[in-house]
Amino acid sequence: MESKTLKPILAVYVAAFILFLYGPFIVLGILSFQQGPEGGPQFPIIEWSTYWYKHLFGLTPPSRIAPLPVGEALLRSLTLAFMTMVTATVLGVMAAQAFRRRFRGAGIVFYLIVLGMMVPGVLTGLGTSLLANNVVGIERHWWTTAFVTHVVYTFPFAFLVMLAILNRFDGSVEEAAWSLGVSPARTFRKVTFPLIFPGVLSAMLFAFTLSFDEFPRTLFASGRDQTLPLAIYGTFSVEIHPNIFAFGVMTTLFSFALLTVYGILMGLSVRRAKKIAMQEDIS
Amino acid sequence: MSTGSPSTQRNTFTGWLLAPGVFWMILFLVAPIMMIVYVSFWTQTTFAINSTLTLDSWKNFFSSEAYVGALWTTLRLWLIVLALTFIIGYPAALFVGLLVKSKTVSTILLVLCVIPFWTSFLIRVLAWRPMLGKEGAINIILQKLGLIDSPIEVLLFSELSVIIGMTQIYVVFMVGPIAFMLGRIDRNIIEAARDLGAGFGRIFWKIIFPLSLPGVVVGAIFVSVMVLGEFATSGALSGRKVNLLGNIIVTQVGSLKWAMASVVGVILTILLGIVVAGFLRIVDLKNEL
Repeated sequence: MESKTLKPILAVYVAAFILFLYGPFIVLGILSFQQGPEGGPQFPIIEWSTYWYKHLFGLTPPSRIAPLPVGEALLRSLTLAFMTMVTATVLGVMAAQAFRRRFRGAGIVFYLIVLGMMVPGVLTGLGTSLLANNVVGIERHWWTTAFVTHVVYTFPFAFLVMLAILNRFDGSVEEAAWSLGVSPARTFRKVTFPLIFPGVLSAMLFAFTLSFDEFPRTLFASGRDQTLPLAIYGTFSVEIHPNIFAFGVMTTLFSFALLTVYGILMGLSVRRAKKIAMQEDIS
Repeated sequence: MSTGSPSTQRNTFTGWLLAPGVFWMILFLVAPIMMIVYVSFWTQTTFAINSTLTLDSWKNFFSSEAYVGALWTTLRLWLIVLALTFIIGYPAALFVGLLVKSKTVSTILLVLCVIPFWTSFLIRVLAWRPMLGKEGAINIILQKLGLIDSPIEVLLFSELSVIIGMTQIYVVFMVGPIAFMLGRIDRNIIEAARDLGAGFGRIFWKIIFPLSLPGVVVGAIFVSVMVLGEFATSGALSGRKVNLLGNIIVTQVGSLKWAMASVVGVILTILLGIVVAGFLRIVDLKNEL
């Protein structure tokens, strides 16, 4: 049987593949512990140190290497990601809820929404900037023009996640509530929402991380004040130093922290759902 | 809330649920793209544009070697990266989606592949610099192994580095959909074919590959859309030597040449439309998913 020999070969291949995915990151992580401020962004490591991490937080004596301009940009990016997360999730839940019933034009609306994640950011950014400059006549800001393009991008993700959740969802529970005379709004709050909560959480995670990391859409649409990815991109054109590697390690840790919080909340909500199901079985 | 039958009431309810999202997409996605098409026919003066219609920017694009060259570079890099993500990604997807018996191991491997997606895109691009540079990790390792005498310089700030970087960043979008489709294949079909004496090669080409094709198409659409609209990877890893259509848009906007940026934007949109429509003709996704 050929697959007997194929399987071990592919297992080794997958190991190499994962190394290919993570290799650059491991190297970046190692080099972030380069000695400073003389040590450059390459091997060999002159001496292991945490200099560049201290440099990042402004804890080192001033040197010729300017600190990364991340302070205010970080605050802006967090605010923008939060605004995007709330808007995209609300729009996504509403649209997916509407898709539970058949209606005319469902196909067109579906493609219109999904288009938002398919159109390259450089195009939405350019178009939105043109509209703002020449038709509406407003200045571009991260909390206006950049914000709307971020929602265009993340709303489809939230919508698709919610659609997947609602497809598996038993509508008879809601109908029972309606037939007992509970108002639609109250039914949504008391019955539907707790059941779809894991989906909402996933939609929020998608929207937040995608917006926080979004670069091409923001490049044209954010105007004067930079978000975090723009500040990072700005440092690419000049000589790079290991401080940007240290920063990369920090943002990765932040992403993992976010994933952990998501995992914990997800676990809690699944356990709560199980508990409720058990109580119902008993009674 | 008193008039109308329950069904029209529920129809208006559906309408209200959809309206905000639909309006958002029309105002901030469809209208901006229309605007790009419109502005591509505007008149460009030194620092401004006005709405007098002209074909000047279009003529400029097609008469400039640099711009038309960017179109060819974009097409070439797209085809190379698409082929590489498929060739590198398919065996990995085959292992994760089909050959691994344990569901847990398969999930863990898939999560391992997806985790980099949650980290910063720009940091992932930047991480290739210390890898590929003249004094980078790859050159050092190759020299230590005695495989080369002097460092390979073409690794960084070349078209090759852009291809390597893009392949690593986008290969996940190929692996995911293919592994998903492979995971849905009914194992009994493969068992039946094996019992009837078919070898692995025959089983692969007659059963496995055709059934995974919708995953390949979805993956190819993801990769194509992202690579065609790229400019950050090519900017950061080629030292501005490789100019894609996206890079032209960025430099044109940087020098306030909005009309030319729009022309390039329209060309990019048309290109994307052709590519996506082409892929959708191979497989009818609505029937498959």
